[in-house]
Amino acid sequence: MRALRRALLALGIAAAIAGVLRLRGSGGVPPQGGGWRELSGPDLR
Amino acid sequence: MRVAVIGAGAVGARAARQLHDAAEDLVVVDADGARAEAVVSALGKPARLVGDVDDAVTGASVAVLAVGTGHRALAERALERGADVVSVADTLTEVSELLALDPEARERGRYVVAGAGFSPGLACVLARHAAADFDRVDEVHVCRSGTGGPACARQHHRALSAGAVEWRDRAWVRRRGGSGRELCWFPDPIGAVDCYRGGLAEPLLLAPAFDGVQRVSARLAASRGERMLSWLPMLGRAPEEGGPGGLRVEVRGGQGPARAVRVLGAIDRPSVAAGVVAAVTAVWVVEGRLARTGVAGLAELVEPVPFLAELARRGVRAAVFEGTAGGVVTG
Repeated sequence: MRALRRALLALGIAAAIAGVLRLRGSGGVPPQGGGWRELSGPDLR
Repeated sequence: MRVAVIGAGAVGARAARQLHDAAEDLVVVDADGARAEAVVSALGKPARLVGDVDDAVTGASVAVLAVGTGHRALAERALERGADVVSVADTLTEVSELLALDPEARERGRYVVAGAGFSPGLACVLARHAAADFDRVDEVHVCRSGTGGPACARQHHRALSAGAVEWRDRAWVRRRGGSGRELCWFPDPIGAVDCYRGGLAEPLLLAPAFDGVQRVSARLAASRGERMLSWLPMLGRAPEEGGPGGLRVEVRGGQGPARAVRVLGAIDRPSVAAGVVAAVTAVWVVEGRLARTGVAGLAELVEPVPFLAELARRGVRAAVFEGTAGGVVTG
């Protein structure tokens, strides 16, 4: 019975950690070269 | 011309305002009579209130459908009474139901424009414009962020858990909503946001617009929390007006033997932009400037350059990405 409780506790802790990691994420933002330019004038003729 | 605006919410009110100068008779109807009355009072003549959809569409040149649901039934009523239809529907189900009206609309010689709002409407116009220099279009990928009024916020919430469809290798593929995370760069100040598959209508309208296209996908921006809770009913109250929204449309195609990528985008408050797109579309319908009758999206129906120029004149501006975008697909 004690082993079962420990197993359930471990599973619960693991699930909580997984949830936090899932929400926080681990990836950064990849670099981007260049930028946005508004369409105007010659672009819309 | 007489224009009927069905729905006086965040989008309908903006569409009515944009149509105010062009319409000789502008009738507004909404299930919430007080809301419709407030819009009509704010606009003044020629806007007026009617109490019933049938009264609104009878004798109208065009009906702008700016309601949350039930677009197909409303479009049928408008067609029966001889009106063309501009619908801002943006869900997979609503747009799919509208597309099924194509034979009837063609038989009646009527225009039914599906998804003529911020997304998929403006996204369709951007895709058509981005493809202008290509001999062939291989792929179209759309990302959107932000929400307009409460109906749009509810649709955003549902879309994350709804099944998505993609056009892949010239066949429809069903995908799980909330899957396919991809980091998408939107015009500033939105910047890079994680986007996921969802029940979006863009593929339904874009795939038929480009002969031979291999892949069409659509994703919507969401936080991980929104994605995780999307299977629950919407917990908070939907906001009356969302913040800035963004569109990013990536078109891959060929120019002769070379392959090329063109990325266009836009940033605006979604309900404002949707109202402008719907209004300009309605004017074009009345002027007979659409490519064909029947049901279709704006990618099939409008010349993008004059359409975008008219949007810009009304304050909705598009942008082109020049450079190299980073992006990552994680599953």
